[in-house]
Amino acid sequence: MKYEGIWFVILGLALGTFVIRSTFIYLSSRIKISERFKEIFSLIPAAIFPALVVPMTFYHKGTNEIFFYKERFIVLIIATIVCYKYKSVFITIISGLIILYVMS
Amino acid sequence: MMPNVPAVLPFGLIMGAVGSTAELSGVELGALNILVFAGASQLVAVDLLMRDVPSTVIVITGVVINLRMILYSVSLSEVLKGSSLPVKTLGSYLLTDQAYAVYTANSNQLNSRDEKVAFYIGAGLCMSFFWQFFVLIGFIFGNFLPSSLNLDFAVPLSFIALAMPTLKNKKYYYVALVSSICSILFYELPYNLGLLVSGAIAMIFGSFLLRSKK
Repeated sequence: MKYEGIWFVILGLALGTFVIRSTFIYLSSRIKISERFKEIFSLIPAAIFPALVVPMTFYHKGTNEIFFYKERFIVLIIATIVCYKYKSVFITIISGLIILYVMS
Repeated sequence: MMPNVPAVLPFGLIMGAVGSTAELSGVELGALNILVFAGASQLVAVDLLMRDVPSTVIVITGVVINLRMILYSVSLSEVLKGSSLPVKTLGSYLLTDQAYAVYTANSNQLNSRDEKVAFYIGAGLCMSFFWQFFVLIGFIFGNFLPSSLNLDFAVPLSFIALAMPTLKNKKYYYVALVSSICSILFYELPYNLGLLVSGAIAMIFGSFLLRSKK
């Protein structure tokens, strides 16, 4: 075992994720969710995923280099455009990896 | 149901390869994969483990990433309303981006509620099988791939592909943009708080945006 907290992470994340997945399904016969709430929930991916991927690529080489070593961030933007155009997980990942490989 | 395989394949391979790079044991990766069964949060959790982030922070971050499933859960709750407790439990467990995507793409062709439930559970089981299978392949062969291929970069790429279909109109693009800018500004906050703060600001911004008519 390399990481001390790994079982806490696995069990905590498993429990938390199952609660997220199941709560509304278990309560389905008892509660009614308003359209307004559904609309707000629909924003979650747009609010969370960019906040994950942008720092991951923008600060790939740490925070000291503000203007250089941004190839991953640039490729990410290109891949976003590719994904928008082709709507394919496969094409997005493959083209992104190839462009990064060629650039570096 | 087969169309979801190309979406799971790279994602599963990456998860397996990341697991082997992080030197997780087979049991640890297996437990993560079966008990959590949510790729995006698993990838981030393993990455944070490698960076010695406190366990509690990792759990919170992973849960926040999976909050998007509330959306799918609410939508599926209408279909699973009349089902038995075991079916509801299985249906909850099998809830993933890909199973939900396949289900919504086909739900118009399904007539009765029973048919919809059967299709969804089938899609979910199919997904889970391929997911476990590709993770295993990635775990076994991940070590043989040269690092010049930058395979870890496939993680953000696959997240882009997950997020893209949920951006329904311009307002969602603005929310994504606000989230991106905030995440650069708040990067240096401790405990990975940048993600939570950026996500929260983007959500608040978005809910005001949705309220305005345009």
